[in-house]
Order: sequence, then structure tokens, then C-alpha cells
Amino acid sequence: MNEVEFAYRVRQALNEGTDQLPYRVLLRLEQARRTALARHKVGVERPLWIPALRFSTGWGGLAAVDQTAPAWRWIRRLGLVVPIVTLAVGFVDIYRWHEDQAVAEHANMDLAVLLDDTPIDTYADKGFGVMIRDEQGI
Amino acid sequence: MATREELGEFLASAERRAYKQALFALRDEDNALDVVQDAMLKLAEHYSDRPAQELAPLFTRILQNSIHDFFRRQKVRSTWVTLLSAFSGNQDSEEDPLETLEAAQGTQAAESAADQAERSQIVAIIEEEIANLPARQRQAFLLRYWEDLDVAETAAEMGCSEGSVKTHCSRATHALAQALLARGITL
Repeated sequence: MNEVEFAYRVRQALNEGTDQLPYRVLLRLEQARRTALARHKVGVERPLWIPALRFSTGWGGLAAVDQTAPAWRWIRRLGLVVPIVTLAVGFVDIYRWHEDQAVAEHANMDLAVLLDDTPIDTYADKGFGVMIRDEQGI
Repeated sequence: MATREELGEFLASAERRAYKQALFALRDEDNALDVVQDAMLKLAEHYSDRPAQELAPLFTRILQNSIHDFFRRQKVRSTWVTLLSAFSGNQDSEEDPLETLEAAQGTQAAESAADQAERSQIVAIIEEEIANLPARQRQAFLLRYWEDLDVAETAAEMGCSEGSVKTHCSRATHALAQALLARGITL
């Protein structure tokens, strides 16, 4: 008998041996197989990439919503436009508030000068003189 | 890309051979089962996007690496852990003969009870002698003749030359034949 024939008969015996495995072993192999199949990565949904500015539905993210629908496309556009508009309105409001503050300060100063409530040191201040000249167009 | 069903079918067809190979190498049922489970998980997690025909060589390589990893880990274990694992191995081996006989009765109903018992004994002796082979000879023999790899594939798997594979296989065959003959078994 040559090597290949001998090996073939050993192989047959080995295959018979695999048919005689204890139930405990077969059960654990089946469990291992099921665990492995549960981690089969092809069937697993990958986490969806969501930009920070996107509108969030609040019930499990965007994965459950059909994002190809026209209505959803409008919502996505709004998700970008709304923060930009809000930011612009905020800047305008801040600018206006700053202007009002400056006007109020000048009014208080004018009133103090008219009522002679201005401290004498104020007239010696170089900046105050420059401001008065600017206002009078000198 | 292998589907879930293809992967399941492949694992079902390969798991018993994989377990036996791990058992021959590790000589402990629980460790062998752990290694096979580890190999299955690695295949499913990292390589299940490969074509179905690539699963077999990948699984063979993962299994061999897992066995090597187990030996490496075992080397650094402390003595008392090794002692405890040896005790647990003895408890398991006491359960085997009865369970094996039950499985045999279900699968070979056509044979007589005496034939079944004799055949089971022969299979057990062959498995025992394969487990007694030197590790490299056993690996070459099983990969070449049980996993159906050709010489080049076996050499690639073992990280040696094709000539070494032929030598290992030849020595394994002769050693196995002599050992079986000494125990009164001729194939």
C-alpha cells in the first residue's frame, strides 16, 4: 500500500470519527457557529454618517426615515439654511444693541455737560476735548 | 462576497474537522472548542466579505494561527492555572466513551453492535496515534490528506518548503502505519 492509499484510509477513519462526536461537543460547535453568524458583517447595518447641522428626528436618528423623499430633501436644506439665517439675524441685533448703547452714553454725557454736573477733570482730559471738537466739526 | 447562508453552510461543513484538528493539537476538548469558536468568530467578523470559495483556505489559516496563539498564551501561564486546567480535562474525558457510543448507535444502525464497537475502537486508536505524531508531521499530514490542500498550499500554510511538506507527510505516514501495526491494526 502506498502513502496516498494509506492516507485515504486514515482519512475515512477520521471522517467516521467526526460523525461520532459527543452531543456536548456538537452542541457547542453549533452555538459557536450561531454566534459567528450573528457577527456576519455583511448583514449588519453600518452606522449612518450624520452631519452635525442636520435636523434630528429625536426617535432613533435618521436611519429609520426615507431620506430620498422630496419632503425630506427640503427639510435637509432647511437644516442648513435656518442656522445661517439665525446667525445673520443675531449679528444684526448685536450691532443695533451696540449702537443704542453708544447713543445712550453720548446722551448721558451731553446732559451732564448741560447741567454742569461734569467733573472739572473731564475738561482736562484730552480724549474729551477731541470728542467735543469732533461733534462740533472744528 | 459570501452570504450569511454560504458562511453558515461552510462552517457547518468544516466545524467538526476543525474541532478534531484542534483536539489533536491541544489534547483538551474545552480548549479545542474555544479555539474553534475563536476561529469562527474571526472568520465571520473580518473575512465574511470575501468570496465563498476563499472561506476554506482562510478558515484553515485562522484555525492554525489560533492553535499557535493558544500555545503561545499557554507558555506564559503560571503553573497553578495549568494544573487546574489539567483537572478539568480529566473530568471531561470521563464523559466521552458513553456519549461517543450513543452517537455511534444513531449513525451506523446497519452494523451490528459488535462491529460498531470494534470500528469505534479502531477510529479511536487511529485518532490517538495521529495525536501522538510530532506536531509538524501531524499538521502536514492533516492539511495535505484531510483538508485536501496540495503540496504548495500546505507549504504556504506551514511556512516551510514543499520538500519539507513531502518529508513530513512521508514520515507521518510511516510512523502512523508502524504505530497502528504495533497495535494490531492494518488498514
